[in-house]
Amino acid sequence: MRFWLLDRISSYEPDTELTAVKNVSLSEEYLADHFPDFPVLPGVFMLEAATQAGAWLVRFSEDFAHSIVVLHEARAVKYADFVTPGNTLQVRVKQQKSDERLVHFRFEGEVEGRISVSGRLVLERYNLADANPEQADLDARMIAHQRSTAELLTRGIDIAAAL
Amino acid sequence: MASEDEIFEKVREALVEALGVDDDEVTPEATLQGDLDAESIDFLDIVFRLEKSFDIKIERGELFPEDILTNVEYVEDGKVNDSGIAKLRERMPFADLTKFEAEPSVQNLGQQLTVKDMCNFVAFKLAA
Amino acid sequence: MRWFWIDRYTEFVSGSHAVAVKGVTLAEDHLHDHMAGYPIMPNSLVVEGMAQAGGLLVSERYEFRELVVLGKLAKAKFHSCVRNGETLTYRVKIETIRSDGAAVSGTAHVGDRLHAKATLFFARLGDANEALQGQRLFHPNHLRHWLSLVGIFEVGVHQDGTPMKEKDYPLTECATDPA
Repeated sequence: MRFWLLDRISSYEPDTELTAVKNVSLSEEYLADHFPDFPVLPGVFMLEAATQAGAWLVRFSEDFAHSIVVLHEARAVKYADFVTPGNTLQVRVKQQKSDERLVHFRFEGEVEGRISVSGRLVLERYNLADANPEQADLDARMIAHQRSTAELLTRGIDIAAAL
Repeated sequence: MASEDEIFEKVREALVEALGVDDDEVTPEATLQGDLDAESIDFLDIVFRLEKSFDIKIERGELFPEDILTNVEYVEDGKVNDSGIAKLRERMPFADLTKFEAEPSVQNLGQQLTVKDMCNFVAFKLAA
Repeated sequence: MRWFWIDRYTEFVSGSHAVAVKGVTLAEDHLHDHMAGYPIMPNSLVVEGMAQAGGLLVSERYEFRELVVLGKLAKAKFHSCVRNGETLTYRVKIETIRSDGAAVSGTAHVGDRLHAKATLFFARLGDANEALQGQRLFHPNHLRHWLSLVGIFEVGVHQDGTPMKEKDYPLTECATDPA
């Protein structure tokens, strides 16, 4: 399985907000275990989708300055509704504040106007070279790969409108 | 015994943490479900935090008497009847039920519960 | 990708606490995307490990007749990066349990290193839950299989120290089984 929890980025405004979608499909293998008789998107995957949405907003906003963007903290993440196969989760992250290490977001996921998940998350960002300058090349390779993934996820989005 | 202000501060902290709202959104008149978007899973969280914060024990149905609201003896056509209202007053001496009594549909009770009601509940428990 | 985020329990005390482990390995697909070039165990899956370890601990209080679902992640904080070759040890504890759900606190360590701390709230769905639309989550055989895979009955004890036995639980019938 590819660990891409977003299928498409719909819009974004740097340092402000990003919206994206994730389709839930019966072909996602893990649904066979979650749950065998009642397949639903796991709550932590809704959190992961929001995490990835926030990470992309960070990367777009700072032009891929950091190779590592990871979940540092999650709070008040509430699961209101199941998301079943055949549905699309619309994810929205809104940036609250940031400093040189951490970026804070509020997020929501909804299906056809009904909220499935809401909460807050904090992302941490850095380069491997910060701790070990020998790893600067690895950072660069990772960032190049992230840029091409971003291109796939934003293909078709009206960049002028997005900005 | 904690003062009114101390109680409000701790209740506010519990609500800010549990609901992910900002400090200034938690005013005494703010309704838990309406203004602060609290849902039933949040009540489990809020009760847990209040128990820890004030060293009290809160039984299910004490803050929010779901058992009365789902009892056919006390509810007719989705509205709480007079004996139901009397029961609620008995069980919730900390809450201001005047608005609810004017329009006693079952779903209104939850929606009208305010931060002030919650503070009064804590004071009531601490005094007991 | 299978949805098993703990490998095995090393300790399980009914109604109290449990310890479970999870190995992080390059054989897992998702590490090759997260992050491509530098594998890091995603923290959302660390949460799921705690949720599974704690969820079964709570379900046992309901005799494994039903599963609970994660209703709310009140707080989770992460302090490091977990890498391939490391083993996560999850320690979970029931803080409070009622008829409608439970609060569980948990930590995740790699050796002595604290990686994460979290508080989770589980909701018990019950037979009448609308969202389930009359379906059950799990056939009892699946649940019995999962419990066996993670070794619950190999290490599980009641609070008086007597071993938990599989035959003491109705794992051949389920609360949400259609009549």
